[in-house]
Amino acid sequence: MSGYQTGIIVLLALNTIAAYGVYLPMSAGQLNLGIAGFMAIGAYAAAYLTNACGWPPSAAIGAGGATAAILAFAVAMPMLRTQGIYLSLATFALGQVISAIFLNLDIVGGAAGYPVATHIEASVVVSAATLVVSLVWLMSTTRLTVYFAAVKNDPLVADLLGLNVKALGVAALTVGAGIAGVGGALYAHYFNYIEAQYFGVMLSTYTVLYVLLGGTQSVWGPLVGAAIFTLVPEALRSSSQWRYAIFALFIIVFMALRPQGLLTRGLSRQRTQARAQSGSTNS
Amino acid sequence: MISQQIVNGFMLGGVYVMIAVAFTLAIGVLNFLNFSIPGIFMIAGMVSWAALRGGQHWPIAFGIALAASAAVGVAVYLLTYRPSSDSDPEVPLVSSLGFLVLLENLIILWLGSDQQSFPALIVDFNWRFGSIIIGGAQLLSLVLSLAFVIALSLSLRFTNLGRQVRAIAENRRTATILGVNVGSVVSRLFVLSALFTGIGGILFAISYLQVSSSMGESIGFKGISAMIIGGMGNIWGAVAGGLLIGLVEILSTQFLGADFVNISVYGLLLALLIAKPEGLFGPVAAREKL
Amino acid sequence: MTMLLSIQSLSKTFGGLEVVRDLSFDVPDGTATALIGPNGAGKTTVFNLISGVYPVTSGSIRMCGVDIVDLPSRHRIGRGIARSFQNIRLIPRLSVIDNLLIGQHVKLKRPLDVLRPFRFARDHEWIRAAKAELSAFGLSQYADEPVGLLPYGVRKRVDLIRAILSSPSLLMLDEPAAGLNASETRELHRHLDILRERGTTLLIIEHDMHFIRSICEQIVVLNFGCKIAEGPFDQVRTDQQVREAYLGTERAT
Repeated sequence: MSGYQTGIIVLLALNTIAAYGVYLPMSAGQLNLGIAGFMAIGAYAAAYLTNACGWPPSAAIGAGGATAAILAFAVAMPMLRTQGIYLSLATFALGQVISAIFLNLDIVGGAAGYPVATHIEASVVVSAATLVVSLVWLMSTTRLTVYFAAVKNDPLVADLLGLNVKALGVAALTVGAGIAGVGGALYAHYFNYIEAQYFGVMLSTYTVLYVLLGGTQSVWGPLVGAAIFTLVPEALRSSSQWRYAIFALFIIVFMALRPQGLLTRGLSRQRTQARAQSGSTNS
Repeated sequence: MISQQIVNGFMLGGVYVMIAVAFTLAIGVLNFLNFSIPGIFMIAGMVSWAALRGGQHWPIAFGIALAASAAVGVAVYLLTYRPSSDSDPEVPLVSSLGFLVLLENLIILWLGSDQQSFPALIVDFNWRFGSIIIGGAQLLSLVLSLAFVIALSLSLRFTNLGRQVRAIAENRRTATILGVNVGSVVSRLFVLSALFTGIGGILFAISYLQVSSSMGESIGFKGISAMIIGGMGNIWGAVAGGLLIGLVEILSTQFLGADFVNISVYGLLLALLIAKPEGLFGPVAAREKL
Repeated sequence: MTMLLSIQSLSKTFGGLEVVRDLSFDVPDGTATALIGPNGAGKTTVFNLISGVYPVTSGSIRMCGVDIVDLPSRHRIGRGIARSFQNIRLIPRLSVIDNLLIGQHVKLKRPLDVLRPFRFARDHEWIRAAKAELSAFGLSQYADEPVGLLPYGVRKRVDLIRAILSSPSLLMLDEPAAGLNASETRELHRHLDILRERGTTLLIIEHDMHFIRSICEQIVVLNFGCKIAEGPFDQVRTDQQVREAYLGTERAT
């Protein structure tokens, strides 16, 4: 395999991991616009552990994910007091704060960036991505998926049915952040260099965009979204600005024509019909 | 010294006022967090720069820039807001983020990603009040921003369109029953809000003499913070929020260093969202859609 | 007769407006009680207070003798209180079976069991219970259909089945017959009779007086948040206050 192809596959693996970090909270009704912040925490924590503490990369990457998850858990309780648009904006603000903190943290290079000494092979990144996809898929076979859907669609009824809406929300945000943290840690050790500016709001934005492109109703949606985001522009072989512009145009048109994303639960065909029914009976 | 910083803070805050008001209008009336607004802000600045560079007179250059802003506003209405009227709440938000990405990358393709210096259109002059110095261009920009906000506020109160807009903000269904043509009013509101944002972008370019493809992100996202601090949907709250953000930014630059600005501004936003999500001045309109 | 549910001096105020005022009534174990009254009398508010959607302003709600007003709403289903919703509150995108699984959450023994892969366990007891109840209602063919695609009458029954599957001792039904045609109403009647044979206590908000008369032993009449009458149907029917407040306008006999 050529270096170019390897690069693409690693990119796909990293984008896929980030996508599932966004997908999990979204399946419980949280639009996380600060996923890059959690990736930054995983990246910097893991890089610091291999650079300064001499940890082996596998342990450091796991610890990076755990650090991101712990931070998410700590902020989840106050943050989940807000809902909907307020929660999205809170995650957005948190992402900005995290990125700004790393920009000022001289112990990890500050604005100059942070070189990472230990290198991991592409195969490690791909295996980790496969593991993440498998775990999320396994999770999708448990009752938790149905519970998340209940919390997302009707938190009041979910509560009356005995679900702990708060705990489920915290769990979704925490696990999503952990996955994103692992993604960031892998990024740091594959590219051997990180800078705070990379983990900015645009990284969060792109991730949310391709997850919604793939669709959040199916567990495979984020994978498909990440694949389209990574591979289609490569196939076009255009400049990166053209890629992003075309991708953005694609998103806009797609959201207008098929807002539920590419993959659904097979409901979309009759979506309008269902809407007509519920509309006529609820009123 | 500190009074000089406070004045500087308000001058900077004037930049955020227009964009915060544009955001709050979209949230208050349409319950739509319109992420294309920072893109429109940037388009207005960059297009007027390109037109001036191309040798146009400034009224023509600004006219072109505002026409471009309005065109984007119409496109956002047609492609983002209208199709999403009955889909998931995150869809219009995400689609408007798509517009931001699209606009930024198109501008980079056309004009490059470098920061450009904007020609000085008004003579550089400063006013002195005792020990306090006020930049003329900044003051003009702040005064014009406030004048536009007052005009907007008055027209919402007294014009026919304004009354219809407020009826929609109050209750869309009732407005429809009362014979308000919601589609037509909303499309005009999108144009109006895009023009408002565009004027904000031009005023920024005039007073700070620099434009870039990323100016929307840096200014616009702080405009969101200003809008939230003022209470979503509250126009004068957005003005106060904008001035407050400017003040926080200048003071944290002064006392903590320029790199701490984002920590202060977004930290304040995060704390406020958690402690008092309705904003310092409370919301005006109820929400029906994200 | 033991009281399953006992409400004492219950009041609820929304921003100065007293929606429920000093309401007291008992629901004896194993009976069916109807809560009736004109629109806006506060009937659904009473349901919301019992299930914990709103905190009470004052008063007590005793379930099997234990006051539950301070019990968080999500723990109330564990005390045997389940309800259906006036405007069906199912999750449209999920299948009927998935919706019914959520209704059985209260049966979860250990919290970590939610992490066990479920989709492969086709004969899991929750799925068997859901399918058994669906077939009792004659809805087996809809098991895997997304709820959003189903006709109103079917969704209405699925909403009821979800409440039944938590094996409640007190089942609160908010206008169960609304929007159903005559044969669907007869069907519903038959199912409620079966539930009563199983010992489930019913508390029903309903406008269909024939339906109420044939099912409920006891009627509680509300008007403007106050109880204006209580007793068997025929007694309540002749009550002058009730006639004025309610029956006179609805001519429901």
